[in-house]
Amino acid sequence: MTTAGGMLTPQQQRDREMLAQIGKGDQYAFAQLYDRLGGPLYSLALRMLGDSGEAQDALQEVFLQIWRRAAFYDPEQSSVFSWAVLMTRSRVIDRLRRRGRRLRVIVASADDDQTDIASAASQEESAADTAGRNEEAMRARSSLNQLPAEQRQAIELAFFNDLTHQEIASQLGQPLGTIKARIRRGLLKLKEQTVL
Amino acid sequence: MIPDDLQDQAALYALDALEADESARFEEAMRENAELRAMVREMRDASAGLAWSIPQSQPPATLKQRILADVALEKQGNAAPISASRQLNWIPWAIAALFLVFCGMLALDRARLERQLAELRRIDPLARATLVTLASPKGELGDAKVIVAWQPDQQSGVITIQNLPLLEKGRDYQLWTIDADHKDPISAGLIHLDPNGTARIRFKPTQRADQVKAFAISIEREGGGTKPEGPIILIGYA
Repeated sequence: MTTAGGMLTPQQQRDREMLAQIGKGDQYAFAQLYDRLGGPLYSLALRMLGDSGEAQDALQEVFLQIWRRAAFYDPEQSSVFSWAVLMTRSRVIDRLRRRGRRLRVIVASADDDQTDIASAASQEESAADTAGRNEEAMRARSSLNQLPAEQRQAIELAFFNDLTHQEIASQLGQPLGTIKARIRRGLLKLKEQTVL
Repeated sequence: MIPDDLQDQAALYALDALEADESARFEEAMRENAELRAMVREMRDASAGLAWSIPQSQPPATLKQRILADVALEKQGNAAPISASRQLNWIPWAIAALFLVFCGMLALDRARLERQLAELRRIDPLARATLVTLASPKGELGDAKVIVAWQPDQQSGVITIQNLPLLEKGRDYQLWTIDADHKDPISAGLIHLDPNGTARIRFKPTQRADQVKAFAISIEREGGGTKPEGPIILIGYA
C-alpha cells in the first residue's frame, strides 16, 4: 500500500531495495527480507492451512519463489508486501485444493462477533514481534475493526477461506448483490484507511 | 469513473473471489482499462494488509536455516547453465567447447559439495547440525563457498571452504562465533588454506556458545587475536 498521495512509505522503499538486492543474488538481503516478512506470511499460511508443518512447507516454497523471481518483480503491479502475500495465498490455495477440501468455514454468529480480532490477537501476539511489526499489525487491525461487521466478515471469508462470492452468499444466506456490494465497500474503505 | 458493477468485480478479482469464467472476462476488460488495473492494484494492496490483522506467530528458527541453505545451494548450482546458454549462442565453437569443460568442472564441484553435505548429514551427530552459509556482505567474494556445520550439543563444528583468496604474508583468516550471550565475538580459531584456497577444519570456540547468532571470518594479523580487529569479509546468520 502506498501513502494517500501515492508516495512510498520508508518501509516500502526499504522492501524494494532489499528485493532489488535479492534480484542480484544477495543472500544477506534475502535473510533480512525473511526476518521482516516471515512472521506475517507464516501467520497467514497457518491461519489458512490450520497445520504448522504444512504452513512451514508453504513458507519455504514462497521464499524460494521470492529468491527466484525477485529480479522480475514489477513495482507497478503491487508493493513488495502485497506481492509476497499474494504469492503466499496462491501457494496455500494450491495446497488446499490439492488436499481436495476447503477450509472448514466458520460463520460467525451474532454472538461470535463480540470476539473481535484485535483482542484475540493481543493475547496471542508473540513477544518477539518488533515494534515496527506491531505497529503495522495494529494499524491493519484498527482499519479492519472500523469496518461494519458484515463487510469485514465477507472480506475475511474471501481472503482467508478462499470462497467465491457465490459461496459466501450461500454461506451467509444473503443475495449475491449484497455480498458483492459489502466486499466492494469494505475494500474501498480499507484502501482509504490503511497506509502501510 | 468506474461503474459500480465493474468496481464490484474489481474487488472480487482482487480477493480471487470470482468464478473462473468471470475472472477471465474481467481480465479481458482490465486489459483495455488502465484505471481499472490501478483500482485492482490498490484493492490488492488493501487486502494484503489482512495478513497483519490475524494473530501473529513466528515460524521456527530452523525453517530460516533450511530456506537459507536451499538458497545457498541453488545459487551455487545456477550460475553455470545460464552463462552457458548465452555463450553457446555467440562465441566460436572452440571457446564453447572449453566452456563446456568448465561447466563440467563446476558440476563435479557442485556434486562434491552436495556429497560432502550428504555425508555431513549422514553422520549421526552432524544430522543435528545447524548449517550456515557464509557470504561477503557486499558480494565481493562471490566465488567463495563457505559452509559451517555447527553442533550446539558438541560445542564444535566443521567449516568447509572453497575458492577463498590466499592472503599475503603476515595475515591470517580467523573464524568467529557471534553469540547472543557474549558481548564480543568468540574466536573459533585460525583458518589455514591449502594453495587452492580450500580448507576443511573442525573448530571449537574458545568459550561456550549456546545462543549462536552468526559465524564470521575476518582478516587478522598473523596469529590472530582474542577480538576481531581486522575487516569482516564473510558472515552467515544461524
